[in-house]
Order: sequence, then structure tokens, then C-alpha cells
Amino acid sequence: MGIIDVVDLKKYFPVRKRTFAKQKWLKAVDGIDFSVRSGSVFALVGESGSGKSTVARLILRLIQPTSGNIFFQGRDISTLKRNSLREFRKSVQIIFQDPFASLNPRMTVFDTISEPLKIHALVKRSDLKGTVTSLLQNVGLQADVLNRYPHEFSGGQRQRICIARALAVSPEVIVADEPLSALDVSIQAQILNILQELKRTSNISFLFISHELRVVQYFSDEIAVMYLGKIVEYAKTDELFKKPLHPYTIVLLSSAPRIRPDGKKKPVLVGDIPSPIEIPPGCPFHPRCPKRFEPCDKVVPDLKEIQGRHVSCHLF
Amino acid sequence: MSLLTVKGLDISFGTMNKPVTVVSRLNFEIREAEVFGLVGESGCGKSLTALSIMGLLPRNAYASGEIIFKGQNLLTIDRESMRRLRGKEISMVFQEPMTSLNPVLNIGYQVAEVLLTHMNLSKRDAMATAVGLMKAVKIPSPEIRIKDYPHQMSGGMRQRVMIAMAIACRPSLLIADEPTTALDVTIQAQILNLLGILRQERNMAMLLITHDLGIIAENAERAAVMYAGRVVETSSVTNLLNSPKHPYTIGLLESLPKTKGSPLKPIAGSVPKPDELPPGCKFSDRCPYMISACQKGEPALREISPGQYSRCIRSEEITWAL
Repeated sequence: MGIIDVVDLKKYFPVRKRTFAKQKWLKAVDGIDFSVRSGSVFALVGESGSGKSTVARLILRLIQPTSGNIFFQGRDISTLKRNSLREFRKSVQIIFQDPFASLNPRMTVFDTISEPLKIHALVKRSDLKGTVTSLLQNVGLQADVLNRYPHEFSGGQRQRICIARALAVSPEVIVADEPLSALDVSIQAQILNILQELKRTSNISFLFISHELRVVQYFSDEIAVMYLGKIVEYAKTDELFKKPLHPYTIVLLSSAPRIRPDGKKKPVLVGDIPSPIEIPPGCPFHPRCPKRFEPCDKVVPDLKEIQGRHVSCHLF
Repeated sequence: MSLLTVKGLDISFGTMNKPVTVVSRLNFEIREAEVFGLVGESGCGKSLTALSIMGLLPRNAYASGEIIFKGQNLLTIDRESMRRLRGKEISMVFQEPMTSLNPVLNIGYQVAEVLLTHMNLSKRDAMATAVGLMKAVKIPSPEIRIKDYPHQMSGGMRQRVMIAMAIACRPSLLIADEPTTALDVTIQAQILNLLGILRQERNMAMLLITHDLGIIAENAERAAVMYAGRVVETSSVTNLLNSPKHPYTIGLLESLPKTKGSPLKPIAGSVPKPDELPPGCKFSDRCPYMISACQKGEPALREISPGQYSRCIRSEEITWAL
């Protein structure tokens, strides 16, 4: 059991329809199970539309699941009320992708970072300034930024402020939803170092959402690959990168451009990702799969356990 | 043979007080039928360079220097000749396929428009050629999709349409400005693969602009690294990635995650604003190799080894390997 356990989680969004037409559903998350182990980094990988961010919002209880359960330290988060909900909100924090959109332009850095401290009444009013300053120092910012506004900062600095805000309430879990995607390569490395340092020195668990495989390989301990709302493969990061099993994982890993090309011709997938409103029958990946055979377009494969890892493919 | 030569290109913007130079003394050349990469972080002037080649700079921008394409200086030729060249001899694929297609016209018309403008085809012939082009960029059932509007297509398909438009008149130079940045990795691989095939079939040179060193490594033959509006290093891609000679190139390579858990070596600080650049070498304030001489004057782009140029006074001392 982990700090967060996700059991058969589903989230369907209704699609707008004509009056007498049959209701259609967008299956953003379609029955997934995983657990984030305490103190480790669990990565969710997948292309756009695979449901990664929906999982993040479900775990934060920003939206309600259609069915299934999420347990935080063994307690179902949908049953939390008042004080225990407040406690949960404090324990699970998020860092968003776009640091330009996730900071209030009319609040100074001090206001932004002290707000969660005030809401949860964590420090005395007289200690606020000292606490905020030391939070900023942890992410490599000096105390002279306290009275400045977000527009005065670069993308990398803003992301540091977002991290400081998330850390303010000493969370146990941080959900990081593509925290590096909006940043330049050299700045990505700075932010990644901060996260790596946090992982090393604190006991914070991470749910790390990304499509950057290089970063995921570097930072995560376990990894789940999502495709159209389902987990197609789930393994320890090292094992997955050493030997990907699912045909989609294989193509995904080889698609990422490499600094040292191995000269081999890359397998290129045919076609686009299907719309999550009309998920193909059988295995959702079968229309693009280079290895599809007889049962693939009829039977939905289960997530099976093979040598301590999980893969959902009829080949195994 | 050189197809396009950029010599001493300066691009500045007129502001209220003084002009701000965003691209300065840029030099590079693209040979016929080669893929030339332009790498750098946001704000380094990659896209402005591309726009200046296309003659599409915004009105308040001012370019000086020379851009020689097939013997003509693109910065001095008259607007009518530039109009005839643009889209025909040199064409461009932009980063965001949604904002660069017209949402109220169907795909077929938008592809055919280039042919109507430059090739003197009848409307019927242009439409037929458009279908052929859409087949060439591997859009399934092009006869039907030709009537689609941009919003009915996925990002990858839209980028294919952009490519079809760009190659319609068989240009000798295709500028691809971050062509896959808005796309998912598997789609990115499809598009880069397609560009590679089309380029070979049509013997077309390509200026590939990107921030991703991996894309350069896999697709370009030669490349230039830009920082603060300057080329800081240019060479064959093999040399650039295996024995970089400029501290900024090294910094970019070291920023990439490698062995698990070991701390990364990011470049300190952040890119300075174009009107707040340090004196002397523009990278000196972030450079781990900085000595006092670096801030005296801006170093020139020097040939360090055959075909490898670097804008650093200490390039000879730098040995670095991944």
C-alpha cells in the first residue's frame, strides 16, 4: 500500500448532444489502478489526450470521479469532510505547467506564499516574513523579491515561486503536472535540480506528470504509461527503459529525439491518436499497433502481471 | 555550393528611446540540399532570423546586412520580386499550425492558392495538384479531406497541410521554424520523418529551427548555436555535439538529464534582456570559463578547427566530452 492508492478509477465527461441523440461520453480516465509509494516519485507518461492531467485533478479532488476510489494514507478521499478535508488539502499540493497562468498577477510574492500559511494558521503572524524568506531561499530566490509581482520574473523564477508556495504547507505529496514544459532547456535543469534536492532531503512523494521521457527517466522511480485513458504499461523506471514491453511504450521511447542517434531507423507509428470520444473497440492502441493480431480489435486486454511488472497487451 | 548566405545581419527594433538590437552580426551559410540547424533558447533571435529571410519582419523592425539567396540580396530587392520569391523559391512552415491556417477556408483551397499565385495554373489544375500534394504529405483519402476545414483536423494533420503548401512550388529552401514543438512525440517523429523524405526526393535545402538538440542531432548536417542574437558556435553537427568549443553549447549539453540521480549542471542565471546585455562577450555573466579579458571586447567568431567556428577567446583551452 502506498501513500496514494488509486483503484479502478474512471472519469467520463458528458459530450454535448442534440436533444434526442444518445448521450456520448468522453472517457478521459477509463479504469486505472496504481499506487504512489511513500517517499518515491511516480511518473505518469503519455501523449496529449491520454488522461494524465485528469488523473492529477482527480487526485487533488478538484473533480469527482465517475467511479472508483482514491485513497490517501488509507482513507478514501471522497469521504473526507471539513477538518479532514482541510488536512488533506494541506497534505497534497500541486505545481502546474504554466507558471505564467498559475500565479495571481495582483499578489506580491510575499502575499502568494504567505496565503497558504495564513489559511492553515501554520505560523504566527510575526514569523510570516522569516518563514517566507527561508522558503524562497530553498528554491534559490533572495529575500529582496518579497515585494515584487509575478510579471517582474522570468518563467524559471516563477516556477520557483510556485514550488515555494507548494512547499509552504509542508505537504506529503506533490503533484507536478508538466512542471518543466514551459521552460527552456537550461532553466529546466535548474528546476529539476530543485526537485531532485527535495526528493533527496525530504520525504515528499511525487506524482510527476510529463511527456518528456528524458526527464522522467532521470527523476522517477516508477512509471505508468497511459494511452487513451488506460494504463498500458506499469513498471520500475529502470526496467521500463531497459526493456519496454508494450508496443506503444517501445515506439514512444524510440520516438524521442536523442543527442546520440544510434543510426537505427526509428519505427514510425501510422495515424493519429484516436479521439477519446470514440475509443476503438478491443485494445485502444490496435489501429496504430505494428504488432496487432487476431484478438486485438475485439478483446480488451487486461493489465497483466509479468515478472513484477504490468503490461496490457495480448502478446503477453 | 552556397544557396543562402547571411552576412553581418543586424535586426533591431525602434523603441521610444533608442533602437534595441536583437540580432547582431549574424553570419552563416546554407548549402544546396543540406539541412542546416539553428538552435537556441527562446528569445535568442532564431525566429526573427527566419522572418528576415522571408521578408516578413514586423514593421517596427529594421534589418541591415546582407542575405544573399541565389545571387540576390533579399534585404534590398523590391517588394514585388520578394513577393514572387516568397512561397515559391523559399517557403516556411511555422510552429503553430492552427494559427497559421485560415479557419474559414477549406484545406484544398489554401493549398491550391499557392499554386494559383505562383504557377499560373487554372483553378481545376490547381485543385488536382493540391490533391497530389496532400497525398505526398501522406494525408489519408486526400480527395475527401480536401474539403475539410482546419478545425476538423488534428495537429499533426494540420502540420502536414502546412508542409503541402510549403513544398507546392518546389522551393529550393524550406524554413521549418519549430515545426514539431506543438506536437506529441510520436507525431513529431512522423513529421520529421516526412520532412526528411520530401527533402531528399525534391533535393531541397532546409533551415531547421529548434530548441531541441536531439532533433538537430538526428536531422541536421551542420548547425549554428545562437545566444542573445549572435551565433556563438557553428560547425558540423557531429563536432558540435562531440567536441563543442563554446561554453554555451557545453552548458546546453550539460543541462540534459543523464545518469539517474546525479545533480544536473544547469547554466547559472537566465537569459538577459536584449537591452541589458553585458559588455564584451554576451555570455560572460553566466559563463563558468569567464576571465577578466572576456568583458573587454566582444570576441569574434573564429575558426577553431577546420569548419568549426566559435565566438570565445578560450575555445582552444576547452576540451569537453560527454
